[in-house]
Amino acid sequence: MKETLLDILCCPLDKAELELEVIREDDDEILEGRLVCTECGEVYPIEDGIPNLLPPDMREEATA
Amino acid sequence: MKLAEQRGMATVYEPAEDSRLLATAAIDRIDGGRVLEVGVGSGYVADRIAAETPADVVGCDINPEACRRTRSAGIEAVRSDLTHAFLADSFDAVVFNPPYLPTPPEEEWDDPLEYALSGGEDGRRVIRPFLSDLGRVLRPSGRAYLLVSTLTDVDAVVELADEAGLGAEAVDEASFPFERLVVLEITHANR
Repeated sequence: MKETLLDILCCPLDKAELELEVIREDDDEILEGRLVCTECGEVYPIEDGIPNLLPPDMREEATA
Repeated sequence: MKLAEQRGMATVYEPAEDSRLLATAAIDRIDGGRVLEVGVGSGYVADRIAAETPADVVGCDINPEACRRTRSAGIEAVRSDLTHAFLADSFDAVVFNPPYLPTPPEEEWDDPLEYALSGGEDGRRVIRPFLSDLGRVLRPSGRAYLLVSTLTDVDAVVELADEAGLGAEAVDEASFPFERLVVLEITHANR
């Protein structure tokens, strides 16, 4: 995901803004990282360039 | 491994007449800004909007395989449940070809493709929560394009939009042997 995507994303639980933690990136996008809710602290993973913003109870796939 | 993968079945809805009707209707009316395709699936509609309009396109889907395909097509992908992971007033246009086939509970089976087709008993299972959150993410002058079928009861969908404070009007349609497909243009009702 490009960093500008952060302008339109929010925590699905409380609609608060998210803080980006980059683990791996290339010239134009974030490949691995975490999005952390600035309100409730819930962590959403970014894997292979795709942020997973499903609420925790809907994430059936392993997030490793 | 999921059952669908073992059987080598498709796990993402492939573009069909409904996708093409929706893409054409959206392209004719979108002139830029930021666009979200909900339930982006194979990425076909999002890709056409990105190629044929100046809009910035984002696709979201609950299905991880659909997200991967969309990203491979060069479209920004977000795994989310409908519009719930997007901030208020984010989009100039939202496009959605929802799962709409009315499906009795005893015929529901649990795999990603079924999820992409079935609209529950009345065909409106997914349309209902979509319409109730749409007004939040749509900018004041924003417009949404929703594909509905006569099998899903177009008037009932217009009524659901009205209950959510939105106005809906048919802007395009196509007839097929067992159904008529309609593209509804949805706006904030006070416009």
